[in-house]
Order: sequence, then C-alpha cells, then structure tokens
Amino acid sequence: MPRQAMQRRLPALVAAAGLAALSAVPAAGAASESALRSELEALKQRIKELERKLEARRQNERQTEEKLAELEKEVASAAEWKSPNTLIHMAGYADVGYTDARGASGTFDSVRFNPIVHYQYRDLVMLESELELKVTEDGETETGLEYLTIDLFLNDYVAIVAGKFLSPVGWFRQNIHPSWINRLPSAPAGFGHDQAAPNADVGLQVRGGFPAFGGFNRVTYAVYVGNGPTLEADGGEIEMIETPGLGSDTDGEKVVGGRLGVFLAQRRLELGVSGATGKVSVTKNAGASVSDGARGYRVLGADFTWRPWRLDLRGEYIRQEVDDLASSAYATEGGTWRAWYLQAAYRFRPTPWEVVARYADYDTPHDSKDLTQWALGVNYVFAANIVAKLAYEFNDNPNSGVAPSIDDRMLAQVAYGF
Amino acid sequence: MGNAMAKRKRSANRPAAGVAAAGLLLAAAAAWPPASRAEYPPKGDFARGARLWVLNCGRCHEARDPKELRDDQWITTLYHMRVRGGLTGQDVRDLYTFMERSN
Repeated sequence: MPRQAMQRRLPALVAAAGLAALSAVPAAGAASESALRSELEALKQRIKELERKLEARRQNERQTEEKLAELEKEVASAAEWKSPNTLIHMAGYADVGYTDARGASGTFDSVRFNPIVHYQYRDLVMLESELELKVTEDGETETGLEYLTIDLFLNDYVAIVAGKFLSPVGWFRQNIHPSWINRLPSAPAGFGHDQAAPNADVGLQVRGGFPAFGGFNRVTYAVYVGNGPTLEADGGEIEMIETPGLGSDTDGEKVVGGRLGVFLAQRRLELGVSGATGKVSVTKNAGASVSDGARGYRVLGADFTWRPWRLDLRGEYIRQEVDDLASSAYATEGGTWRAWYLQAAYRFRPTPWEVVARYADYDTPHDSKDLTQWALGVNYVFAANIVAKLAYEFNDNPNSGVAPSIDDRMLAQVAYGF
Repeated sequence: MGNAMAKRKRSANRPAAGVAAAGLLLAAAAAWPPASRAEYPPKGDFARGARLWVLNCGRCHEARDPKELRDDQWITTLYHMRVRGGLTGQDVRDLYTFMERSN
C-alpha cells in the first residue's frame, strides 16, 4: 500500500474504532466494556504494526535511493571511459622462431616482442611508438626504438609526422616487415637492416592521400627531410650504408626524399615510386668513430602490389648509391647496393592454409655479400593476425667460387599481431 | 681550406632547412585545430566504410575482424593506418562507422 494512502487512512481507522466503542456503551453496558477495551487494544496493536511496516518501507526506499545514486555514478564513469579526449592503445606484434641451416644444428633463434603504443588526442594528434625487444644469442635482451613520432592531422589529406620514422622510401620496410604481415619468416635478401633498403630516419615528414581517378582510387604520398644515413668503412672500402635513424647529423647535410603511390582500388593494384637524395659521410672506420667529408647519396625505388582473385602478388626494387670521394681518408670509392624481390602468396579459402613463393636478388659492391634467394613456404592462418609459417630458403652467391653469406635453411615461425 | 669552405656551405644550408621546417610548422599551427567538434571522429558512411575495409586492408595484410577490438581501440588503430596507408580523413570516418556498428 502506498505510504501516503496509509497515512491518510490511519486517522480514519482510529476514529472508527472510537465511535464503535462509544456506540456500544449504552447497549452493552459494563459487561461489554472489557470487550470494547480489548478491541481497542487490538486496534492499537494493528496501528503499531502498520507504523512498523511504514518505517520498514521508508528504510527500503532510502536504500533504493542510495543504490540508484551509486548506479548513476557507475554509468557516468562508463560513459567517460567510452569518450575521453585522450585514447591509449597498445598494439604491436611478437614472434618466436626456429632455424635449421645446412651444416649447422637447428636452434630456437628468434624471440621478439614489438609493442606499439598509441596515445591519441581526439582526431588531431597521435603519438605512436614501437619498441623492439629480442633475445640475443648470449641470452641478453636487446632493446631498440623502432620509431617514435608525433603525428599532427592537419586536414583530411595531410598529416605532419615528426620524430624517428620508418623510411617512407619503398614499401616492404615501412609496411610489410612486421612478422604477422610478412608471409615468410624472413625478409627478402637485401631488405633486412642496413642492406639495400633504407630502414629509418629522424626528421620531419608530410604524408597522406587524396581521392583521384574516381571511385575508391587514391593517390598516396610521403615527403620527408631527415638526418640521413651514415657510412661504415673498413679496409679502404665502404662496408655498408647504415640507416638506423640517426639522432644526429654529423656532416650537417640533410637527406630529402619520399614516395608517390597510386592505389587503383577496383583493380586491387598499387604502384609506387620512391626516391631520396642528399649527402652522407663515413663516421665509422674499422669500428672506430671518425670524421670524413660528405659525398653524394641517392636512393631510387619502385614497388607494386596486385591482388587478383585469391592471389597476393607483390614486388619491389630498391637501389642505394653513394658517390666516390677522392679526398676521403677512409674510402675513396663509393658503391651501389641494389635489391629486388617478387613474391606470390595464395590462400586456399576457406581453409586456413596458404602457400608462398619468393625470389630475391641482392647485389652489393662486395662479392661475398651478394645473394640470390628462393624461398618457399606454407602457412597455417589461425586468424588474420596469427600465423604459423614453415619455409625453406635456397641461398646462392651469384659470383662463381664465392660462398653465400647465408646457407640454405629451414625456418619455422609463429607470429602474432595485436 | 677545403674544410672551411665546406663548413661555410653547410652553414648556408642550415638556415634554408630551418626556414622550411619553420614554415611547415607555422602552416600547421595556422590551420590547427581543423574544426571544433563535440564528438570524434564524426559519423561516416557505413556502406562506404564496409567497401573500404574490403579493398584497403589487403594492401598489406588480411582484413581484421571488426570484433577483434573495442570502438575506442578501432579509433587509434584506424588513425595509425591513416598514416601508414595514406588513407584520407573521410576514409577513416567511414571505416570507423563500419567497425563501430559491426563489432
């Protein structure tokens, strides 16, 4: 019974009881007085009972109101979590692997964890950073900062990217190298760290895309200025072009470059050309830090991705070149590092099985490092981001009488992107 | 002598690079923030987002199931992909609308 209704009825009940008692007096006399008294007592008891019930109901209402207030707080808290101005997200990938090279015992040689952290302020600014943690041969843990950039979304077509970034020259190094994306357990010959393809740089980049040619087609672009690479010399020759993304520019000469791509969505075809130019200098000779004059540096690249039917075809060409420098104290001759690869992958949908084949060619100024490589693999795709790979690489040195720098080998890997 | 000339040349290059970088940052500052919006990202086109999901993800990797992530995680993931894959702002809004309603 509602509280107000009960309160209204209480006086009426008391009055009715009194009237009943008074009207009974003349008729019943003294004999019925005790009966009336007991009836009055019963009514009093009933009133007390009703008062107790009313108090209990009030108590319940107070408790309900308190619970409701708590719930309102929780709902408000959940809404805050859904739409804060700053979003935090951890992504990345990890992989474990096993290698069995000809003439060597098999070994579990790959344990790698690459967390990527995203901090985003609304749709205006994003901080993104990838670390690489991996176990070395002697059991130590090697750490590296793969990239760290603050991205400013200027408008729908332009983002300014500042910091250490993966080189926008080419496609494999900036987009395909993560193990859950790469369809083989290894990078193509020449596309590993400090080989023919630039890896990273520190500087400023402007990149984005805009609709072109109708439909879902798009032109993509990236232009950057950075500290550029450095050269390592040994024995009077340039050993390698190092592109780790240097935090200093020892020769004071910047490198500028970029990539221009066309994505024809309906044809599932993407074509890209890349280039960079600037000056670089030798900063290491036989492992020791040195200072040398600046010399010309150029990169040229082209890449494609084509996905007809269930096939995934992709390929890339990259060429890094450094000029001669007659006045150099460490290496007067320059050199060209060139690599290309073609890869085909086929997924037997709806099954989780996939087969992959890749051919790669890597040419350097040093015969001992040249490599031609066939890789054949079969994958089991647990989910779009989880894959187990088994592959065999056939490695050869194209120079007669020179042993390849990598033996033929079997590779197994499980990769997880998150 | 040669070193001194090279140093002078490098010194001359530095202001040009500095001016270019400063110009870029000033342009960014002038245009930022692009708009004041109560909600972000603003709603896009669900059907277009679905089509973009099919066509774009496979440029590098298999398309991920919308159910893999929460809505807020999709926002950061899609803005990451905007930088990586040269998506436009409208592409991101359409993709997010598709992901948000499909997970």
